[in-house]
Amino acid sequence: MPIDNLQSTTTDPPSGIHINSLSHEFGRNESRVLALDNITLDIAEGEFVSLVGASGCGKTTLLDIMSGLLAPQSGTVLLGDTEPLAGRQDTARMFARDALLPWLTAAQNIGFSLATRNVIKEHREEMIMQLLREVQLEEFADAYPAQLSQGMRQRVALARTFSLKSKFVLLDEPFGALDAMTKINLQDQLVALWEGTSSTTVVLVTHDLGEAVALSDRIFVLSSRPGKIIANIPISLPRPRNVKELQSLPKYHELVASLWEKLSQ
Amino acid sequence: MTLDLKIIAGRFLLVFLWALVWEWTARTGALPPAFIGQPSIFLTKFFEHLVDGSFISASLITLEAVAVAFTVGALLALLTALVMTVLPILEKLFSPIIDALNALPRVALIPLFILWFGLGLIQKVASGVSIMYFILLSYTMAGAKSVDPDHLLLARSLGLSRSEIFLKIIIPSAVPAIFAGLRLGLIYTVLGVITAELIAGGKGIGTLVSYYSNTFDPNGVFATLIMLIIITSSLTAIMSRIEASVSKWRTPLNQE
Repeated sequence: MPIDNLQSTTTDPPSGIHINSLSHEFGRNESRVLALDNITLDIAEGEFVSLVGASGCGKTTLLDIMSGLLAPQSGTVLLGDTEPLAGRQDTARMFARDALLPWLTAAQNIGFSLATRNVIKEHREEMIMQLLREVQLEEFADAYPAQLSQGMRQRVALARTFSLKSKFVLLDEPFGALDAMTKINLQDQLVALWEGTSSTTVVLVTHDLGEAVALSDRIFVLSSRPGKIIANIPISLPRPRNVKELQSLPKYHELVASLWEKLSQ
Repeated sequence: MTLDLKIIAGRFLLVFLWALVWEWTARTGALPPAFIGQPSIFLTKFFEHLVDGSFISASLITLEAVAVAFTVGALLALLTALVMTVLPILEKLFSPIIDALNALPRVALIPLFILWFGLGLIQKVASGVSIMYFILLSYTMAGAKSVDPDHLLLARSLGLSRSEIFLKIIIPSAVPAIFAGLRLGLIYTVLGVITAELIAGGKGIGTLVSYYSNTFDPNGVFATLIMLIIITSSLTAIMSRIEASVSKWRTPLNQE
């Protein structure tokens, strides 16, 4: 059962993500800008949460801090019971652009990330093919990124992110560059990948309110400059969800509209 | 496919027409054949020298210097780039000096090389290296800097160490630039070696050109130039082939 071995077996509390009075500034002296102002939030284990807000509200900064790419200046951040650290085995990060390595094939790109986790080599091949099947790209396993469309590349990046079987998955506007149809397809694949895991906590940064409502259990709305949490909205749509079907559900559109109102206040 | 063949046939036709006009100009004396040569004569001469082996042995002497200069220049450049990428302070220190040396027309150094190394192989190699080194160094440094910042973030988020990032991200990112530098550098290495031969003499192709020119034999010059074109075109073709085989990943499917 190598796949199970990947997840740390400790289930001791605290789990989930806990951020307490986090503030962050950029620049120095007179040109200082407060990017995040006293952020406090709790995300339960296994929850799918979105951070929405206008561009420049600091949502990517917040995600960078959770990924350990940026050190918090004040306040505390806990993923599970430890502080974030770049390269933590239980954290996976996905970027706005696909960030696929162009000299590696789709399968090799997934393998590249997988090699940083302790997965027995013999099982990697199998896991890679399984993931490519899940994002419907198995016949493109040996294709290079330059040979794939933008949507396909982002699907490979999605598979790569989930290949890590991390407890914490941090996504930074992963579908921002895609057209509406491709976007919905990928959102469904993301939901399927996440629902296929048992206790993966997902934090999605997005400026697409429809996407946030369709995917999340809860949405945090951030204000602009400085980034402050101005609303915490639970999304009570039933699961499992199908993003395509949601498009014709009145409740979904009501939620998007009320989110719009919150943001434009 | 048929279009490709038509274009190739068209190219041959162009060259043939050009030679025909040239031949006619020389035969009618519209331009003096003592200066412009005559295609029928220099083509015959080219094949004669090819068959009697004199062009081949001269080419081998030139190619020997090119091969040594290319290899030494490339290794030195890659080594310098490696050190400067690992220790950026060295790049800051040396880059103005390197830029200044690169701005110097290296051909002007050949008399100095002759003074230091004599008239043989080494001065030709020195001339080739002085050009090859700077071309490949600047291409490689540019390549190492062209790393996609997203790839570095990915590597950091995966917890790769500094040396792993260097080996698995920075070097592969620089490969296309390195090969572009090798291809361009090879042509310029030939330039450096031929120039050294023009100036210093010896037994290479460059020496033949200056010999025929000094003895008022334009047909000899053109016959030698044909040989030179064949050499440089073959070298470029080989390099392009190698470049294509290591950068398959850069070709989108529909352009294959």
